[in-house]
Formats: sequence, structure tokens, C-alpha cells
Amino acid sequence: MSQVRRAVTGWGFALPFAALFAVFMAVPVLASLVMSFTDIRSTDLRDPLAVDFVGLDNYLRLFDDELFVRAATNTAVFVVLGVPLTMAGALLVALGLNAGVTRFRTVFRVGYYLPVVTSIVAIAVVWRFLLQPDTGLVNTMLGLVGIDGAKWLDDTRTALPTLVVMAAWRNLGFSMVIFLAGLQAIPQDLYEAARIDGAGRWAQFRYVTLPVLRPTLLFVAVVTTIGYVQFFEEPFVMTQGGPLDSTLSMAYHTYNQFGFGSYGYASAMSYVLFLVVVALSIAWFRLLRANT
Amino acid sequence: MTARDRVATAVLHVLLTAGLVVMVGPFIWMLASSFKTDAEIRRSPPTWWPEDPTLDNYSNLLGRLDFPAYFTNSVVVAVLTTVGNLMFCAAAGYALAKLRFAGSRLLFGVVLGTIMVPSIVTLVPLFVLVSNLGLVNSYAALVLPFLAQAFGVFLMRQFMLSIPEDLLEAARIDGAGEWRIFFRIVLPLCRPALATLGILTFLASWNNFLWPLVAATTEDRYTLPVALALYSVGQNRARYDLLLAGSVLVVVPVLIVFVLLQRHFVRGIATTGLK
Amino acid sequence: MRRRRTSSRAVIALACALVLAAAGCGRDSGETEQAEGQQVAEGKATGELTVWAMGTEGEKLSVLAEDFMADNPDAKVTVTAVPWDGAHNKIATAIAGGQTPDVSMLGTTWMGEFAKTGALDVVPADLFSKGDFFEGAWDTGIVDGTSFAVPWYVETRLLYVNKEVAARAGVTKPTNWQELKDAVTALQKEGGAQWGIYLQPGQTGAWQTAMPFVWQNGGEVLDGDAFTLDSSEATGGLEYYGSFFADGLSSKDQLRGGEWEPQFASGAIGSFVSGPWHISVLDELGAGDKFDLWPMPKGASSASSFIGGSNLGVFKDSDNRDAAWKFVSYLMRPEVQVKWYQTVNDLPAVRSAWDDDVLSADPMLAMFGDQLEDAKAPPSIATWEQVAAAIDGELERVAKGASSAADAAKAMQQKATSIGTGG
Repeated sequence: MSQVRRAVTGWGFALPFAALFAVFMAVPVLASLVMSFTDIRSTDLRDPLAVDFVGLDNYLRLFDDELFVRAATNTAVFVVLGVPLTMAGALLVALGLNAGVTRFRTVFRVGYYLPVVTSIVAIAVVWRFLLQPDTGLVNTMLGLVGIDGAKWLDDTRTALPTLVVMAAWRNLGFSMVIFLAGLQAIPQDLYEAARIDGAGRWAQFRYVTLPVLRPTLLFVAVVTTIGYVQFFEEPFVMTQGGPLDSTLSMAYHTYNQFGFGSYGYASAMSYVLFLVVVALSIAWFRLLRANT
Repeated sequence: MTARDRVATAVLHVLLTAGLVVMVGPFIWMLASSFKTDAEIRRSPPTWWPEDPTLDNYSNLLGRLDFPAYFTNSVVVAVLTTVGNLMFCAAAGYALAKLRFAGSRLLFGVVLGTIMVPSIVTLVPLFVLVSNLGLVNSYAALVLPFLAQAFGVFLMRQFMLSIPEDLLEAARIDGAGEWRIFFRIVLPLCRPALATLGILTFLASWNNFLWPLVAATTEDRYTLPVALALYSVGQNRARYDLLLAGSVLVVVPVLIVFVLLQRHFVRGIATTGLK
Repeated sequence: MRRRRTSSRAVIALACALVLAAAGCGRDSGETEQAEGQQVAEGKATGELTVWAMGTEGEKLSVLAEDFMADNPDAKVTVTAVPWDGAHNKIATAIAGGQTPDVSMLGTTWMGEFAKTGALDVVPADLFSKGDFFEGAWDTGIVDGTSFAVPWYVETRLLYVNKEVAARAGVTKPTNWQELKDAVTALQKEGGAQWGIYLQPGQTGAWQTAMPFVWQNGGEVLDGDAFTLDSSEATGGLEYYGSFFADGLSSKDQLRGGEWEPQFASGAIGSFVSGPWHISVLDELGAGDKFDLWPMPKGASSASSFIGGSNLGVFKDSDNRDAAWKFVSYLMRPEVQVKWYQTVNDLPAVRSAWDDDVLSADPMLAMFGDQLEDAKAPPSIATWEQVAAAIDGELERVAKGASSAADAAKAMQQKATSIGTGG
């Protein structure tokens, strides 16, 4: 096919998406990017053009904002702990459901997916009970083996790791579903061939499953990282960023700033978040790029 | 199966079931609690089964809410969004995965980039745009901004990368046009991916709260989550009983869609015969 | 400190803002002044009106709207209920997109911000007079000296006390700070409560619990254009707030809404501070007759409580300004306010409505009514939410003992000053 012909075909396939995307995504994104270079506040909304350009002021101010620095640290911890935990858990469950379980497959799939669709309010109530220092299930069980349970959500040292575990629990189903779909694409005869060559379970996993799963792994890694960098709901509902801002995330801080009406500043914060995600995604792409 | 295999499978089942209990617990609690009074829900330690099961929460909600109207709005929006995404993202994903054309890398980069922008930052500009297009308070406003999601294109592209190139080449040699290849060969191979995208898109659209709230100016355009929030969150207190009953009402269609679509998580037929 | 690069554009914008505040005209020049316009003499409303109201008020307002339409047959009122969750966002984006309704219910703490957008119409002086309303409530609608909204319903905070615990402790209504402290201590020691009182230990909304102490001590948030959060009076109020935690009288850990009411009902918590909605909450728990209400104690200067509630505002872009204000005025009639109380249990903002039997006969309501005469709200500045968040953060440090009241006051002052008043 000629270059031109290929371009026409390619863009033909991509056109509906590209058109909608350009109008409803690209335009607002560009507008908000411009906002981040101005001092626009919610009070300027009726006359948004009458604001000042402040260049990189909003971005530079972020580093003076002690809450932002705190939030950034918290988010970093959350991502470093949460992403591997969630991915590993989801992959294990997907592998288990794919290979070993034949009966009640639907029940398992639906069950593991349920936390993703359960109302966050219900989740919050149940988890708060589980984690209650005196009467909660976790501390009661720890007490049985003689460990003094901590004040999970009220102690500045344990609040964040606790939310990591809760988020991993909640988001596992999402990644599991994608892994399940990805595992279906692996041709059975590759496993056959490996078995004939004498490969055991672990070797089959390493040399058949993982390589074919690479694009899926990359997708899950990037999307999960994006999700965790932007983690918001868990601290919002469970701890309101406390105690003493130990669970304040960057997305939560940004949300607050939007709530205060500091649109320019909050947009700048959002784009810093964006840059962080881009950097991490590039890292993932380097690591997991599919070898064609 | 060897004895070792059988033990391994049994252990696997036990572990997965234990995990399942942990996963499903809060959902069961939510379901059971939707039949409790607000006071009982807030009790600590919480109760599992309602002491005095009551249908009051549901009759309260369904009586006050114009449930059919909101449900219809949610269904229309979610179905249109899902179908649209399946079509457009599959097409664009295929183009990015398998067709090499000028500007494809740029497009992919831009698309990827926008996934990484936090959605809250585009809320006000998007509303101003929709308002300037004269679309406020219409189905178009509720559907169009989400009809083609970057996330979906990314998902489809990654899945389609694993389609064997020789399959497509063979078809091309046989004289098939690209569209024919797409519909006859590629799409059937992507059933699991399409099912996944369908599930995720439906879920996101169905649970979407902030945009439908902002884009609708009269109640008859509200979707279900927006309407339910009306009754369950007050200025100074939240009604947990109505919140949970509402959450159950909202979750049922999502689960139905999930159960229906996850049947497509089966091996693509063509791959098994490949040499 | 934020440095703003001045430019001629900024000066013009600032000047417009001042003109806006002073005379209530829109930010685009050339709009005729009609802020204090006269109403049509006949007084019947005509045309279509769109009204937004949140939560239960939104759900039930159609009842009053029907009465209004019966009175004004040529008028058509459409009420759109908006969830509280996200309502602030919805109004802000509506302003941005030019999609505002004619009338909207507005939270009292949103006034500064929305008034500064220039989207709100100035309250016509001939229809509403300050003296009709509770002073604290009327003040919430005033931004930079101009009134932009009318208070619709109000709420204020009192002390809820567990009767049994109080009886065991042998305490009676405290009248001043020392007596309150002694009473709470007694509730815990002799009364047998685990916590004598539950005060919110910082985090979102804690300022509503702590600011009254500041006000009672004679402190203020703002004096003119300058914050006074580190004055000796304000610091004194913060010290009093912090002393409850330091003395072990209140839990330092956040108790989530819904978790501590059962503890109060059982006597594990001796008292707490809240508004009138808790009467029905405790009723549902079966503790409806187990509690008493105490008024706020008198500090060095007053016995002020916090006043909240919601206001009604009319948008500048409204096509039917006359009818809009007539509708608002209708809702302010004492008999309509009483009917509204009977419909949704919202306390009237109009003082004469309290003379009605429905309200005056109930002793608990009467206590709220009395407290409303001495209840204040924070200043209606555009940046209030942000200042409040800074205050909440410092309050948490005081409650948890991470900071002394004096240091916290200084930190609050410094943060608030750097945030500014948004003027």
C-alpha cells in the first residue's frame, strides 16, 4: 500500500474517535492548560478573559506549599506500595481463575469484581468497623495471637498503609478482569509445546504467559499507576486527608483547591500530577514494551 | 490429573474462596443493610442481618423518585456511550496497533497523554464548551463527551497488538480490504477485549455523577446516581439507609451487564488452530 | 506571600470589582444600574421562573411554589432539586457557562465567592429589611457592605446533654466558661461518661465548633480587611477549645458522623455540640427523651453560637427579575416560613415567624430561637472556604496536642493573611 493510501485508511479508522476527541477532550484540556498559567479564580468565571497571565507562578508556588509537598510524599508512598500489590494480587487471582477453576467460574469472577462496584459508602462503613481500635475485627484477631493492634486510621504512621491495603483490595477486581481477558489470547498450543519440551508450571509462566501478556501487563501497569497517582476516594471518604494530613493525596489537595475556587493554581497542580504520570508511564513503557 | 495436581487445585480453590469471602463481604453487608433503619446501620459494632427487615428504604426511594425516568436516562446514556466506545475505540485501536500511517505515533501519544490528565481539571472548560454548543440539558451533552474515550483506545490497541500479523497478511494477499479484515477477522478475535471495554465503559458511565449533575439543568435529565444523591445526602447529615438502598438499586444493572459480558472471556477460536 | 504582578488590566479589574461591590453593577461596563430597583406596584408575578434548591428543600419546595402560583396565576415556577453533593460545583459551572437559573438556594458560606463573580443581583431594599431577620443570618448575605441574598432558613448550635449522666453528676445548666468546664468534668467523673463531651478535633468543619469560643471571648475573624486570628481574645478562645482535649474531656480522635450518636444515647459520651437536626436523629435512635439542651456559655464577651442555614439569591442574568424577587419575598412571609417549618423542619430566618404557636410552644425549639438572637457567622469573603480549611488544620494540631493554642493562632493568622480576603 502506498503511503497516502495507508494514511487515508488509518485515519479513516481513527476519524470518528479523533473528531470526538478533538472537540470534547483536546479543547477543554488546552483551555485548562492555559488556565494554569493565569491567576483565574472561580470569582472570575463570568469574565474569564479579564485575568492576568502569571507565567509559571502557579507552578513555582507549589513547592512553597507545605501541604502540596506533604501530599506528594503521601502519593509517592501510595503508588510505590499500592501498584505492585494490586497488580500482583490481580494477576495471581486471574491466573488462578483461568487455569484451576472450572466450576462456579462466574461466581468467582463476579465476586472478585464486586468491590469495584460496591458503593464507597458501604465499603467505608464496613472497613471502619473492621479497623476500629477496640471492637474491630482486625484488632480482635490480632489480639488472639497476642499482638496489640494499632489505631489504624487515627495514627499518623498507620493511616496511609491502611488505606493502601484497602485500595488494593478495592481495585484488584478491575485489573483482574483485564488480565483475565488478556490470558484468553494466549494460544493453548504454546503451552502444549512448552510441556512437551519438559517445562514445568513456573517455566511455562515465565516463557509463555508473561511474554504474550506483555501488552496487557503494560496496560494494567499504566492504568493502575494513573489510578493510584490520582487516588482520591479512599482518603476522601475514610479519613478526610487526616490525621494531620498524613493521608492527604495530591488529587485530594487539588480537589480542595478547586473547591476553594483557585482554578489557576489547581490547574497547575493537576498538570504537575500529569507530568508525574507521564514520567512513570514512560518508565513502564521502557520496562514492558512489547517486542514485536 | 496426578495426585499432586489434585491437591494443588484444592488448595487453589480454598485460597480463592477465602479471598472471595473477603471481597464479597462488604457487598453482602450493603445488600443486607439496605433493609435496615438508619439507626441500625450506624450501630457499632455493626449487625449483619437486619433485626427488623424493612422495605421502607426502597419504598421511600421508589415512591419519591421518578424511578423509571431516571433509570431510563441512565440506561440510554450508558448504552449509547458503551456502544459508541466499542465501535470507535476498536476502530481507532486497530488503526494504532496494526496500521502504520502518518501521524499514528503522534495520535497515540496525545491520546495516552489525555488519560493522564485528572478529569476534574476539564470540568469547567468542558461545561463552557457544551454550553456554547447549545447542548446543555440534552442527551447529547450527557453522551458526546464520553463517546470516545482515550482509555478505550489504549485498551483495544494493547489487545490488538497480539493479533498475529501473518493472519492479516494472508487476508490482504487474498485481496480483502482493510474494513473487511477488521470486521471479519479482527473483531471476532477481540471478543474478550470488547467485553472488557464494554464492562468498564458501562460501569463508568452508569456511575458517573459529577458531569450529569452539572450538565443537566432540569430534573427530567438527571441520571440515577444524581437523583439518588438528592435524597441521601443533606446539608448536615447523610441518610445511610437511603444511600445504601440507592446503591443497591444502582449496582444491579452493572452486575447484570458484567455477568452477561464476562461470558465472552473465552479463548478466541482462531488462535487455537495456529501454527 | 503571594506576589501579584500588577498591570493596568489588573487595576481595571480591581476597580470594577470595587464598583461592583459598591453599586452592584455587572463586571461588563455599560450595564444600567438597576440594583435597588422598584418593584411593580401591583405585586402579582408573571412569566416563568426557574428555581434551584438543594436536598429535601428542593424536593419539597414545589409545595410552596404551588401556593405561590395560586396567588399569582400568571406565573409559572419550576423547581429543580439539586443534590447537596456537588451543588457548589454545579452553581459555579452554571455561572461559568451562563446557565444560571432565576433563583437559587445558596449555602451561607458560599456567599462571598458567588457574590464576587458578579452573578448575583443586589437585594432590593424595598422588599426586605434587615430587622425582619436574625442579625447573624442577614449578615451572611452581605458581601463588602452590599446585600446579595436573603436568609431563608437558619440553624444554630447548642449543647446536647445526656439527662441521666447529668443527673448522676448533679450538674445544671452552665452559664459561663468555668461552669461549662466544671459541668463537663463532672459528667465524666461523677456522671460515669467515658468522655464528658465530644468536640470535633479538627478536620473539615471543626471551625464551626471552635469559632463560637473565639466569638464568646470577644475575638473576631476579620476586622475590616485584616485578619485578627492571633489576637489575645482569639487565642483565648482557642485555648479554651484546646483545654477540653488536653484535660482528657473529649476524644482526640475523629469520630465519624453516625458513630458517636449511639455512644451519646448510651451515656458513653456526656454531651456534644450540634444543631436542630440532631433532635430527629436522636429520636430515631430511641433517645428522644434522653437529652437536654444547654445554651452556649458566656465567655468574656458574649454567649454566641454559630449560625448556618441557607440563603436565597437571584441571578443577574435572570430574564424575570421582578417575579424572582417576588417569589423570594413570598417565601419570607411569616406564615409561609411557618408552613415551611412544618413541611421540612427548617427553622425560619424571619423573626416574627417564631411568634407562631407551632414554634413558640416547643421548649426545645424555643431554646434554638433564643440562641439565634446571639449567633454569628464567619465573614462573607470570597476566600472563606480556603481560610476555613487552614483554620481546621490548625485546630486539629491543637486538639491532638501537636501545637499550642498560641502557636496555632499565629499559624492561622499567617496562613489566612497569605490567602487574603479575595478582594
